[in-house]
Amino acid sequence: MPKPDKSIDLMSDEQIMEAVKNGNLQQASVLFDRFHKRIFNFLARMTGEREAAEDLTQNVFLRMLKYRHSYNPEMKFQSWIYQMARNAFADHYQKQKQLKPANMEVEKLHESLPDLSEALEQEETEKRLIRALARLPDDYRELLVLTRFQHLKYEEVAGFLNMTVANVKVKVHRAIGQLRENYFELENV
Amino acid sequence: MDKQKWESRLIDYIDGKAGEAERVAIEQELLHNESVRNLYNQLAEIMGAMNHAHVLEPSGKLKVNFEQALQQEIAAQQKTKTVFFSPVVYRVAAGFILLMAGLAIGYKINQNQIKTQELEALRQQVEENRQMMLAMMDNPLSASQRITGVSVAYTFDKPDDEIVNALVKAMNEDANTNVRLAALDALGRFSSEANVRSELIGSLAVQKDAVVQIALIQLLVKMKEKSVLNQLEQLTRDAGTLKAVKDEAHAGILKLS
Repeated sequence: MPKPDKSIDLMSDEQIMEAVKNGNLQQASVLFDRFHKRIFNFLARMTGEREAAEDLTQNVFLRMLKYRHSYNPEMKFQSWIYQMARNAFADHYQKQKQLKPANMEVEKLHESLPDLSEALEQEETEKRLIRALARLPDDYRELLVLTRFQHLKYEEVAGFLNMTVANVKVKVHRAIGQLRENYFELENV
Repeated sequence: MDKQKWESRLIDYIDGKAGEAERVAIEQELLHNESVRNLYNQLAEIMGAMNHAHVLEPSGKLKVNFEQALQQEIAAQQKTKTVFFSPVVYRVAAGFILLMAGLAIGYKINQNQIKTQELEALRQQVEENRQMMLAMMDNPLSASQRITGVSVAYTFDKPDDEIVNALVKAMNEDANTNVRLAALDALGRFSSEANVRSELIGSLAVQKDAVVQIALIQLLVKMKEKSVLNQLEQLTRDAGTLKAVKDEAHAGILKLS
């Protein structure tokens, strides 16, 4: 399998995607390396299922290849790939309507967490966080996953959610408020 | 305390996005207001938990599967690159041929689309007429409505069973002679259809209205339907048959035999 050129590391995501669009398909591998973990984490937090998240991540990058000709180089690649991830999740959600977020396989997701041998208490905290997150409406959960777990800026999120930055901020604050309530309700369960 | 407002202020404060004056105001409040302090503690905990949540590691098979798919895509791309025209004149010629073929295909598709749209409009019109006819014929209060309904049958080239049954029912059972005659006339237009022909022959035995009987005999004679000869003879012998009907039956027997 041919190795990508070392100089490619200096290229922006958009430049690489444009090269892919123009026929240099091998460079898609670099974009996969740069983004697959982020997309997988986004989808894992959204679906609550590790297996589904892997399948959907695979699906997202296959879409990237399939729809490469429709990529607009003026658009940030990150926005484009997240948009495809959102579409993949929406399709999955439609197919799995019976698996509402409230039924997220929290324990299954938890099993995939890194070994936290040094902090059992932190592990419990994270389990509760996942359960509190699962109780949020999809749009709130998505905003928190993007801005708080994935640390995307409000401006970046506003770009591909087609919202104003102010609106993103208001909704994120409300989502945190609701998550706080869910989280401390679970403390007493 | 306006909890939502305080939540928003505290989130900005925890995020380090509060201005200097706002920061001082919040810190004063935290010192003296227990409910704000509790809210702050809860928000700090939840935001910290999100901030420090672990990054999940996908399995190695994700990368392997993607690379396989990528190589397949590359192979497929190379296959599609095998058509190559040289010198330039061939490329231009090929381009021109493709352009003309594209125009021809586009024209053909456009024509087909127009035809499809026209057919669909026609089909809708026929269906509307059909529904209107059946509804009008089903109006027991107005004979003129039923006659109008029957007249809609003239717009059909070939009636379906439901329409034929409605016309036969009107011809044999309607209380109004004019409706029965109109139905008979409408059915006469479709007499080449086997089922209509058979219904017209059958009607001769059940019709008691002289006006309809005469019109029916004239129609059957016009259709050259020799199978009704016995029925016509029967009518001529029947004491209950009106003279005008017997005369028409005699005339029919002469023409058919």
